[in-house]
Amino acid sequence: MKKALASLALGVFLAGSLNAAEKADPRLELMKEMRTMMDAMEQIQRGGLYSSGDEMKQGVKKLQGTLKSLESEDVKAILPKDQVYAYKFAQKTAHMLRLYSDDLIASVEAGRMDNALDDYTQLLKQCMSCHIRIRNW
Amino acid sequence: MDRRNFLKVVAAGATVVAVSPSLIRGNLYAADGALFKAYEKAQLVDAAGKPIKASSLAKEVTYIFNYPYASTPCMLINLPKPTATDVQLTSENGEKYVWKSGVGKERTVVAYVAICTHQLTHPTPNDSFIGYVPTNKKTMAYDKSGVIVCSSHLSAFDAGSGAKVLGGAATQPLNAVVLEHAADDTLWAVGILGQDKFHDYFQAFRPEIKEFYGKPAESKKLVSISAKTVKLSEFSKEIIQY
Repeated sequence: MKKALASLALGVFLAGSLNAAEKADPRLELMKEMRTMMDAMEQIQRGGLYSSGDEMKQGVKKLQGTLKSLESEDVKAILPKDQVYAYKFAQKTAHMLRLYSDDLIASVEAGRMDNALDDYTQLLKQCMSCHIRIRNW
Repeated sequence: MDRRNFLKVVAAGATVVAVSPSLIRGNLYAADGALFKAYEKAQLVDAAGKPIKASSLAKEVTYIFNYPYASTPCMLINLPKPTATDVQLTSENGEKYVWKSGVGKERTVVAYVAICTHQLTHPTPNDSFIGYVPTNKKTMAYDKSGVIVCSSHLSAFDAGSGAKVLGGAATQPLNAVVLEHAADDTLWAVGILGQDKFHDYFQAFRPEIKEFYGKPAESKKLVSISAKTVKLSEFSKEIIQY
């Protein structure tokens, strides 16, 4: 009985530690944000292709919700070791993503879907630009 | 007008254009293949509107002026040594053209469009990722300094040889601003050499350009008469250089 209780306590302790480590690891948080960004981009594209301004706006909202992680210095935690110095570039990318996504909303609201799709293209270019840099392509 | 007078007028006009191509606007393909586009002639002046003298430029400092459009930044640099002359360059379309040399008493003053030919990185009032790296500083983009570096994707350009690509992802030189150096040591921008990226720049950075320079009618206005020239450290709040 004592052994079982000790094992249970150890199990709970280990699970708790792992959970805490997961929460504390900014890399995991940022990776999650990256996946959300990808979903957001897909949603914007879907909205554009199906002429749904609302879908595009929802995608932008989702995208903008992830930008804080790139705009802060936390971004250093997710960058490869040899690219940590380039965090300013990631911050600049986040700034440009905010700028283009704000413009995308304004374009949708003005009924300028051509401009909105152009903004989407620029958003995608920003993503590519940063990944080219970070991965040394 | 009789035939003789008409021929005189035509001959005089042709002579004027031949002597100073900047008097006409449009693409000029010279016999040697040089690609040159003349714009409004503009004198480089300081923040107070006083003409800048070539000999008064600090060495190895990046200065910024907007030319040929109100929103297209260019850099002016007084290099530590005379530039090369008659440098043959190639655009990404394969067109060959010749960059003559720097200007000034010692041929050390150069000007280039400060829009990277790779992904159009350029200085803004907020920040700058592109600029000249002085000889006493190091850069990650190239094994020597004294070069122009775009710190976005680490392209390096030879400041003393028409901004020829030295390394990185850029596939063509920075566009050169053609300068005239007057007898009174003043500097004038008269045109752009090389295959320009202005159209792509205006399209790609529409929201940003609007934020800093206003509506397209304002931002695409051609610079004429004078171009305000300030140090990059005064133009941009933050300079990022790797």
